[in-house]
Amino acid sequence: MERNPASAAPVRAALSLRDVVKTYDMGADKVHALRGVSLDVARNEYIAIMGPSGSGKSTLMNVIGCLDVPTTGSYTLEGRAVAEMSENQLAEIRNRMIGFVFQTFNLLPRSDIFHNVELPLIYGGVGRVERRERAEQAIARVGLSDRMKHKPTELSGGQRQRVAIARALVFNPAIILADEPTGNLDSKTGDEIMAVLDELHEAGQTIILVTHEDYIAEHALRSVRLKDGAIESDVRKGARAQARARAS
Amino acid sequence: MRLAADLGESLLIAMQAIRANKARGALTTLGIIIGIVAVVVTMTAANGLQNQFRQSFAAVGADVIYVSRTPWVMMDDFFVFRNRPHLQLRDAWALEDKLRGKAVVNPTMDTRRDVKYRSETIERMRIVGTTEKQTLVSTAQPEIGRFMSASDVTYKKKVCVIGSGVRDGLFGAESPINKEMKIGRTTFRVIGVMEEQGQGFMGGPDFDRQVFIPIGAYVKAFGGHRGRQDVSIAVKAPTKEAMEELEFEVTGQMRKIRKLRPAEPDNFSLNKLDTLVGAFNNIMGVVLLVGLLVTGISLFVGGVGVMNIMFVSVTERTREIGIRKAIGAKRHNILTQFLFESAAICLLGGVIGIAIAAIITAVLNAVLMPASLSIPILIVAVMVSIVTGVLAGFVPAYRGAKLDPVEALRYE
Repeated sequence: MERNPASAAPVRAALSLRDVVKTYDMGADKVHALRGVSLDVARNEYIAIMGPSGSGKSTLMNVIGCLDVPTTGSYTLEGRAVAEMSENQLAEIRNRMIGFVFQTFNLLPRSDIFHNVELPLIYGGVGRVERRERAEQAIARVGLSDRMKHKPTELSGGQRQRVAIARALVFNPAIILADEPTGNLDSKTGDEIMAVLDELHEAGQTIILVTHEDYIAEHALRSVRLKDGAIESDVRKGARAQARARAS
Repeated sequence: MRLAADLGESLLIAMQAIRANKARGALTTLGIIIGIVAVVVTMTAANGLQNQFRQSFAAVGADVIYVSRTPWVMMDDFFVFRNRPHLQLRDAWALEDKLRGKAVVNPTMDTRRDVKYRSETIERMRIVGTTEKQTLVSTAQPEIGRFMSASDVTYKKKVCVIGSGVRDGLFGAESPINKEMKIGRTTFRVIGVMEEQGQGFMGGPDFDRQVFIPIGAYVKAFGGHRGRQDVSIAVKAPTKEAMEELEFEVTGQMRKIRKLRPAEPDNFSLNKLDTLVGAFNNIMGVVLLVGLLVTGISLFVGGVGVMNIMFVSVTERTREIGIRKAIGAKRHNILTQFLFESAAICLLGGVIGIAIAAIITAVLNAVLMPASLSIPILIVAVMVSIVTGVLAGFVPAYRGAKLDPVEALRYE
């Protein structure tokens, strides 16, 4: 993936949402979680989605992560129309194009680190030899090569989140979708995890950060604020702010 | 490759899940173990009975027609047969005359008498009056000494050939050859001992516990002349294929001998080993069916236990399902995962069940009948346990597979 100067206009869109509406049918009530959201994210962007609880940010994350489909509106991910896909096709998109990093890590407790990282490759039908190579590479990238045979319970919170990042990375996804990645960590460990994400962005990765913490959102170069299911503001940082953010 | 990885992953998860809940797995498996033990033992026991049946009647001979007053297996009204005239020795000689060169004909009569040698007595031993052709008709041959000769029969000699059971009971370790023993009130000289035939079938005739004497001597000693006792006539076909034709021939000749008019029904019966085998198979079929029905119920109960545990397992791992779906697991991946788990539990139960059934079969074999655990039974048992697992696991697995990933991830 080519490096893309952050101040310049996006070269190509990684994803594009157009008038996305998501309505939940709760018996008599209809809950309008998203009321027409349009958003373009370019490759190698580093974007934070912010908003208070109830603002629709979880729903937006689910839609972007292909865990859920919009009620109306279109969603294109790397040129593919996701909104019309079947459940199995969505699973394939999640498998190959999206890397999730969750607040609660969501590792499989009974499997060792290697197996946790290898799992997306298994579901993607990658052969044993290539699987080993790619999983080991991803684990090395987050600096946990010496913990490969450990169970998640034998690791600290920060290390677990690194494993989750390795798992997200292993298939070279189009986007990494990090949902409150530091929410369960102390601030020092949180900073370390954010440094890992920053590094990935440096290396060309598109990252979408969902958070309600301003100081976490600071890491991103663009912040989208949601309120009541609509985009309230969409702010790109100036080049200087970006430079400062990188320097710190 | 893709399938192999999927299956490998499913197997791994199944093993992990079972290991993580050992006590629960063991209890669930118990139901399947009991079911599989029941299925396997039912099949080996049925098989054992069949083996025993075959062994016991090996001496009857598959290519022999037995003409007698009544059929061996009576399906119709008993009174029809009771009013038939007795088969007489002269009928047998007449039949032999007609079939000369076509088949071997051997008449026998039998009764029960006490047999005695010095101080040893066996009560109500089966005494068979026969001819030298006995050894042509039956597969049983003398082990030591000789069988009766044509002249023994012609001259109604008081000689006897005893079964191995009689030898053991009366003579012990002593050689019985040329010893004199009493049959009823008459003294006979032992000229031979028959080879061992194996235990009798379920109260059926024990061919090791009988004494052969020349038929003329039999009539002299125990009566039965002038048609007061039934004669059974064995007719041995030259080949098994000639049986059918021979049956026609024997029926025709017997009707002539007994002077039956065309409209009159036969007043004698033709019996074959096949008749017995047929009757036996009918009974065995019903027994096996009932047995399998009952064992099927126990397996069903075991399966319900597995289904129950699988529901628990799926619910417990809702979050895991969410994680797997988030990173790309499709429905069929989740489905396979839980089906494997449930099949693995059942297969484990099946293997343990087979092991226990093998022990029970060995005990059966030692004390009751020649039962053995055959490869087909093993295959059936393994298949049955896997199928039970898949059937029991399907509904819970399907429920897990169609969980919404968003909901599943939110599950605490």
